[in-house]
Amino acid sequence: MAKKAKLTEQKTGFAHPISGQGDADKKEKYLDQLRDSLAARLRAGDHAAAGEFVDMYNEQIFLFMRRLGHDRQVSEDLTQESFLQAWQHISQLRNGKALNGWLYRIASNVSKLYWRKHKGREMASIEGIGIDAPENSEAGGDIVEHYEQLGRLKSAVACLPEKLRQAVVLHYMQHLTIAEAAQAAGVREGTFKSRLNRALETLRKQVL
Amino acid sequence: MNEEKLTKLLNDLADATAEPVRPGLSEDIKQQIPQRLSPHKAGTDTIHIVINLRISKLAAAAVIIITILLCAGLFGGREWTSDGIVDSIKDSLAWLGAGRADVLAVRSKYEDLVRQGRHVVFYGDNIAPGDNSAILMHLKLPDGKYRVVFGDGTTAIVNAEELIELHSRMLLKKTK
Repeated sequence: MAKKAKLTEQKTGFAHPISGQGDADKKEKYLDQLRDSLAARLRAGDHAAAGEFVDMYNEQIFLFMRRLGHDRQVSEDLTQESFLQAWQHISQLRNGKALNGWLYRIASNVSKLYWRKHKGREMASIEGIGIDAPENSEAGGDIVEHYEQLGRLKSAVACLPEKLRQAVVLHYMQHLTIAEAAQAAGVREGTFKSRLNRALETLRKQVL
Repeated sequence: MNEEKLTKLLNDLADATAEPVRPGLSEDIKQQIPQRLSPHKAGTDTIHIVINLRISKLAAAAVIIITILLCAGLFGGREWTSDGIVDSIKDSLAWLGAGRADVLAVRSKYEDLVRQGRHVVFYGDNIAPGDNSAILMHLKLPDGKYRVVFGDGTTAIVNAEELIELHSRMLLKKTK
């Protein structure tokens, strides 16, 4: 059963569990169409499409920046910068399927440039984002243990080398498919999978 | 089991670390949308296709240069043999090298002389690259003779008959 679940995951390339496969397929098809149409309108220079694009992605990119270790203010600035870069490089957008990978690639580069410019700056890291166990004393031991594990995982992810951390964030936290995440990281799928495996191995040793 | 558990934990971590975004952020970004988004630039397609194929930029540059050279060979009337291609490459390199610099320098001199109203003719656009004995330019002197500049940068003063003879030789060479 576990093997079957793993195979399904590899096939779809999704990191998050999919409940009803039929519904998920329909949803994915709809999203693909939406992205295709949005990409085509963006390429044509449609101003309204740019607004929809911002609505669709600003939250994701902000969280991506936070998870890459930037504080709130910097994350907002970098999110704005990512969209500015996107407008400038709109001609490089091929189609709807590439939309996620293209925007995350730009955002990754914006973040990388920021770290290069501010070498001495300390990472806010996702350590700064709070995970607190419920204060309810009736909470079961399992829940407490779960939150402890989450806390350990958060610290372990924060300690990963930049590339491995980026791989984990893109695939498991931003829920990009392997293909999209590899595009965003600017590497081949094989290389990305290898990074992901190394990251998981490190995390497993530290958390489980 | 471990892998599944870790994946689930990572998904939970993603949910737990999802922060609310400042409500005005979206509007701030929208205000920065340029009035005219850059339209798709068709001219850059080839380069992007090559780069998107994940070929390194150096390899992409090499592919583009070789394509240009092959096209030059095809449309330049060269024989479609390996020798023809090699010649074509050699010629192109000669043009890109010092020979081309000489031609450009002579052309610039020619443009100066034209502006001065001198009787001058430039042949640099038609001569075979790397042909040192070809006439790049001739200038009529006040005494009726001609100053000729050759492909290797040397000059000579000739009379009208000698000039005609030099041109005839060039034509003969070309027809061969």
